[in-house]
Amino acid sequence: MTVLPSLDHLPGRTGMRQVVRAEWFKLRSLRSTTWTLLATVLGSLAVTVLATNSVQHRHGVSMGFDPTNQSLTGLALGSLAIGVLGVLAITAEYSSGTIRSTLAATPRRPVLLGAKVIVIGIVSLVVGEVLTFACFAVGQGVLSGRAPTASLSDPGVLRALVLTGAYLALLGLFGLGLGVIIRHTAGAIATYVGIIFLIPIFLQPLSSSGNPARFAPEQMLANSVAAVVPQSGQVTAPLACLLMVAYCAVVLAAAMMLLKARDA
Amino acid sequence: MIAVHALTKRYGSTLAVDHLSFEVSPGAVTGFLGPNGSGKSTTMRMIMGLDTPSSGTASVNGQAYAQLRWPLREVGALLDAKAFHPGRSAYDHLWGLALTNGIPRARIDEVLDMVGLTEVAQQRAGKYSLGMGQRLGIAAALLGDPGVLLFDEPINGLDPEGIRWARYLLRGLAAEGRTVLVSSHLISEMSLTAERLVVIGRGTLIAEMSVSEFTSQSAPDTVRVVTPMTESFVNALQEAGAESRVEPGGSIVATGLTATEIGTLAADRVLTLYELTPLQGSLEDAFMELTHDAVEFRTASPTRSNGKVPT
Repeated sequence: MTVLPSLDHLPGRTGMRQVVRAEWFKLRSLRSTTWTLLATVLGSLAVTVLATNSVQHRHGVSMGFDPTNQSLTGLALGSLAIGVLGVLAITAEYSSGTIRSTLAATPRRPVLLGAKVIVIGIVSLVVGEVLTFACFAVGQGVLSGRAPTASLSDPGVLRALVLTGAYLALLGLFGLGLGVIIRHTAGAIATYVGIIFLIPIFLQPLSSSGNPARFAPEQMLANSVAAVVPQSGQVTAPLACLLMVAYCAVVLAAAMMLLKARDA
Repeated sequence: MIAVHALTKRYGSTLAVDHLSFEVSPGAVTGFLGPNGSGKSTTMRMIMGLDTPSSGTASVNGQAYAQLRWPLREVGALLDAKAFHPGRSAYDHLWGLALTNGIPRARIDEVLDMVGLTEVAQQRAGKYSLGMGQRLGIAAALLGDPGVLLFDEPINGLDPEGIRWARYLLRGLAAEGRTVLVSSHLISEMSLTAERLVVIGRGTLIAEMSVSEFTSQSAPDTVRVVTPMTESFVNALQEAGAESRVEPGGSIVATGLTATEIGTLAADRVLTLYELTPLQGSLEDAFMELTHDAVEFRTASPTRSNGKVPT
């Protein structure tokens, strides 16, 4: 019989350190995590190969050609999968009923959400950076010989890659926030896809009046953050990152409010 | 020690729990009894801090659940048959919980052994039967070796052997001095497991007493009379103010008079009496009697108005 130390002699209380460890373990112990990440990597690399392979035939080589941006085209798929990872981190708890075990173990809900933000944030940051650099390397490999290529030492390239990886991490957190708010996997993923991919399409007719689509998350990723050659009419990379941080903050603040207020 | 004070939960215009107050003391299994939909689960969720009360308070060991420093070390709960991810193994589910409350790994093997899941501990929990899922829930409740335990319908899905095991487990936990609250809609089950009862209906407290008090108090005086003079006896009982019905075997079951009173009645009227047996009201009868006005979903007649029997 394991004798657990008496509560009177157990100092402190359960907090961020314990809950982060638990959430990290929970994420690792699910096969769906592996599948989601594998889909992220393979999908992004596949699209990158297709996008860079088509360059010679479509574009020719124009003055504004941005080989870095071209090689990061595949991240559109990656940003979908990273968002799904964030969504699933919480909606899977609701759909399976695990949320009640989780909240019994960690009744202070801000601590729980904080731990999930840390774990999902770090995992998607690492995945985002690795993925970005991998797409860059593969893309440049495909481009070489048929079009100009970029290297890490070219001005602006390293900054674009690092920012792009970090931007993907923000998308993971955005997905997590939507998951907490919506609580259903399908609904949360549909909302994520709608915000990330569909809003820019709906905003297309307004492109002559201020072009609001340029502020949409996926547009900012493709045209601002992942670009080395500045594209006319788009927001700058730092502004895009700041805006995305703000979007995440709004969604996560709403998520925190609802998580605290609602019955589990 | 669990204390619930004026606890109220309102969903729109419905009162699921209505100014409910009761206490659950250590050292005994307390049965939390009520018909389906009477607010048992909602009350337990509020004790666990999962649902916020509209008003009133619920506390464990004098504190609101969210204030507990190491909650799993003080309270263990089985609230749903499926409160785990189907893709995670029993072992991993328990380890994920253990990590949050500083519970050592060795304890996982121990609780898995206690509930009999050791051999399947590495399998994905989605493959478990309802009974195995219930055992995993019980293992999670026992994980922190807590002094307070809540079980919501723990025997659902268990086979007869499992039901017996669960009864022994619950009584054993109480005998160790723990506070054990077990909800059920089956009084017969509670009479075998619990010593004390908290009975609710439509979210309000109906009774708080020991199981023996419950049976003796709620069961009306019922006496079986065997006589060759059935018709005269029934008339005599009716005049004396008792209700009676004649059983298929010819014996009379009378309600409203004690055996002594009926014996005297028989002597006064010079009626032959072969047998006079006080019947202990069955627990189900007592429970039905008690919750009669508080049943949420009453069964309708099985035939429809058009006379067709539903297929």
